[in-house]
Amino acid sequence: MGVDKKIKKFLRDAIRVAPKISDKGEVFELRNGLVSPYPQTRKDAIRKIIQQMTSGKDVSSLFPDVLKNIATQDIEQKKLVYLYVANYAETHPELCILVVNTFVSDAADPNPLIRSMAIRTMSMIRVDKIMEYIETPLRKTLADDNPYVRRTAVLCVAKLFQLNPELCHELGVLNDLQSALSDENPMVVANALAALHEINELDPGCIDVKKLVSENVRRFLNVLNECTEWARITILESLSEHKSVDPMESREIVDRVVPHLQHVNPSVVLISVKCILMHLSNLNTVPESLYNKLSTALVSLMSTPVEIQYVALRNIRIILDAFPDLLKKELRIFYVKFNDPLYVKIEKLDILIRLLPADNMKQCQMLFNELKEYAKDFDHEFVTKAIQSISQLAIKVSNGGEDTHDKFLNTVMEEFISIIQDREEFRDISMICIGDLLRYDSDSNLIDNASRAQLVAIISSWQDIETVFTSDLGSCNYIWFITNYTSESLETKLQPLVEIFEDLGTLTQMALLMGAVKCHNSVSGSFLENILQLCTTDVHDLDIRDMAMMYWRCLSIENGDQVINQLFDRHEIPKLHSTLDHFSPEMLKSLLQELSTLSSVYFKPISQLQHRSNDVHIIKNKNLDELKGMATNEILKNQNDDVLLDMGNDSGTRSTGVLDELNDLFDITGDMGKVNISQNKNNNNNTSSSHATDLLDLM
Amino acid sequence: MGNLVSTVFDRLWGVDKELRILILGLDGAGKTTILYRLKIGEVIETKPTIGFHVETLSYKNLKLNVWDLGGQTSIRPYWRCYYANTAAVIFVVDSTDKDRMNIASKELHLMLQEEELQDSALLVFANKQDQPGALSASEVSKELNLAELKDRSWSIVASSAIKGEGITEGLDWLIDVVKEEQM
Repeated sequence: MGVDKKIKKFLRDAIRVAPKISDKGEVFELRNGLVSPYPQTRKDAIRKIIQQMTSGKDVSSLFPDVLKNIATQDIEQKKLVYLYVANYAETHPELCILVVNTFVSDAADPNPLIRSMAIRTMSMIRVDKIMEYIETPLRKTLADDNPYVRRTAVLCVAKLFQLNPELCHELGVLNDLQSALSDENPMVVANALAALHEINELDPGCIDVKKLVSENVRRFLNVLNECTEWARITILESLSEHKSVDPMESREIVDRVVPHLQHVNPSVVLISVKCILMHLSNLNTVPESLYNKLSTALVSLMSTPVEIQYVALRNIRIILDAFPDLLKKELRIFYVKFNDPLYVKIEKLDILIRLLPADNMKQCQMLFNELKEYAKDFDHEFVTKAIQSISQLAIKVSNGGEDTHDKFLNTVMEEFISIIQDREEFRDISMICIGDLLRYDSDSNLIDNASRAQLVAIISSWQDIETVFTSDLGSCNYIWFITNYTSESLETKLQPLVEIFEDLGTLTQMALLMGAVKCHNSVSGSFLENILQLCTTDVHDLDIRDMAMMYWRCLSIENGDQVINQLFDRHEIPKLHSTLDHFSPEMLKSLLQELSTLSSVYFKPISQLQHRSNDVHIIKNKNLDELKGMATNEILKNQNDDVLLDMGNDSGTRSTGVLDELNDLFDITGDMGKVNISQNKNNNNNTSSSHATDLLDLM
Repeated sequence: MGNLVSTVFDRLWGVDKELRILILGLDGAGKTTILYRLKIGEVIETKPTIGFHVETLSYKNLKLNVWDLGGQTSIRPYWRCYYANTAAVIFVVDSTDKDRMNIASKELHLMLQEEELQDSALLVFANKQDQPGALSASEVSKELNLAELKDRSWSIVASSAIKGEGITEGLDWLIDVVKEEQM
């Protein structure tokens, strides 16, 4: 018996006939393989086809022949055919009806894998005819004994909703979905929640997900530990959007979510952080240990691959804006490593400056030394950022207000003097930073005169100004500097820039204008007039033009001098307090709510990221309708005015005639338009008929 | 070379080779009932077939791959997708449905004109003999103009899928014919 079986098995293996390529073409051979009387040959052919499909070749012409192989006991073959059907169903919508029977019977198969495969593929196919038959299998699988099948079916409801919302309402599966939230299996609960969110996004008025979530908070917390990573993310996301009813509930949520801060998956960690932060404000007291745990979690993200680090850094940047004290003790972890990619380095610098406690002089000094090292790097962008960070650091430290801190500003200034002397390629950013520092120091005079004089000497000695600076902001700061701190041979220094006035950036043009006006006593009249002339005639920017006009006026009146001096009084100009940019409160709020999404990486709230082309289309339509309505109203109003002008008896008839024409013109179907027109008709009647009929009309 | 050897092998032994048999006919003729009568020997409750059923059965040491295709008007055009490599066609007729006998006849002859079916045998089941008013096999044969068929082995058998009469007789005949032709 055993030998017999072995021989049989050997023979079965021996007669596997792989489809071979012949002159008649590959597709022909494959088709022959598909209708072969030998099961193994058919399976090999299907394998070959799937191989070609995945490599991007169009094998849709074999659709009917592949379909025939869907009914098989071989689960591998079934899976392959399902894959094929899901991929090519849209190319042969009419033939899809042939698989309906198999779908329905597979959805009742004893094997749960086949059941879920059937319902999954069925809901994936965007063919109307298939949708007609989905009811029985969907109901059956939604109430299946096996959680894996239920889980799949629950997601299929969302897919079905996307294809055909009416059918979903008709079948009442949305109710099944809501009751799936109280399923005993955590996977089903999480997937039902994900499906509900998806449906909610497609049609916000359809289901009140917020209410459902708040009813099920306790359930979610209970299943959280048993879920997969994806499911956890879904549940934590919902929990973070949930507005808890009292501090007790928030407390419970926070307590249950805290353990997830130690999860290996960075996405779970980040979403847990978000969830906790969202509920933090509801807590009566926040223990210090909670902050420590949050810090540790965020620090743990710094040991992930660099791409994930970048995402984490962007998110940390947002979190720090709202919770500046959070990572205070973890400064070291954000020090730049030599092998970090540029994008990570730049984010780290941003965070370092924000994290630095301004009252800790030792740390400030350490960071300053570190930044000086960074500024010696070879990468231009990184060095630029490092130099900028130095100036931000100086301002932040000086805000501390103690003596030692004042000296720090001078140390930094010396550093800048050496940078502008030694490193010509960074004059742009150094100039901007020096400008910032001087404006910060405008009233306190912390920077000693020696370094000021040194700066003036170095910067005044620069030749060929038009080629020194590459950025608008750089040259703008240069002009500001020399017009404020030097008075000798201004004209010769500025003349090269005036000659290329039209090619300059807006900021530089404005700086030139203001500088020339401010120093109107030390430059020649013709120079000043030339600039004013250029600003009023050759410039497209309205602000510059207006400004130039105003200054010109000021200069030409009596006491013009005084007015100008008053305008440019240095002590009147507000002091610069910080060069660190922060999010606006509304922006920060929405970004915090969207932590760990793309919007937190782009720093753009979802409302600003138009991602669905559908929406755009709908909006366009709406706009068009609105415009139409507005145009109609406008014309009607004009019409009315005309009527009011000649109050003759014939006016009523004339205007209705025109109104009819208008109606034809716009073919108004909306109620708004009709109401407007009938009202106008009433108005017209006012002028010609008695008040009694008017009242009747109104009744 | 390996291919050649194995091809020779399977032609010689006929191991694992399946015979494709199609069950066709108008909707409600009893095709699905016949299929499962063959497969499990019982009458099952059926719903209109949208698409197809396929079952593999062993019969007299032969592996039969029996396809039951839906008979609704909308699905009939797709029958042709299944014609390739077909050894035999079983055409099922509802013997009580006299009104649609001409449609059945038309569909049958249309199908038999297909090139892919030139060599396949034809078995007609005059089904539903258990019901009152059913036409006899010879009457059905006349209605379907079976006499016109040339160059084809065909047979008509009166059957009742519900009672299980005539099914095995018909299949026995079909297998004998197919064995001669294919093996």
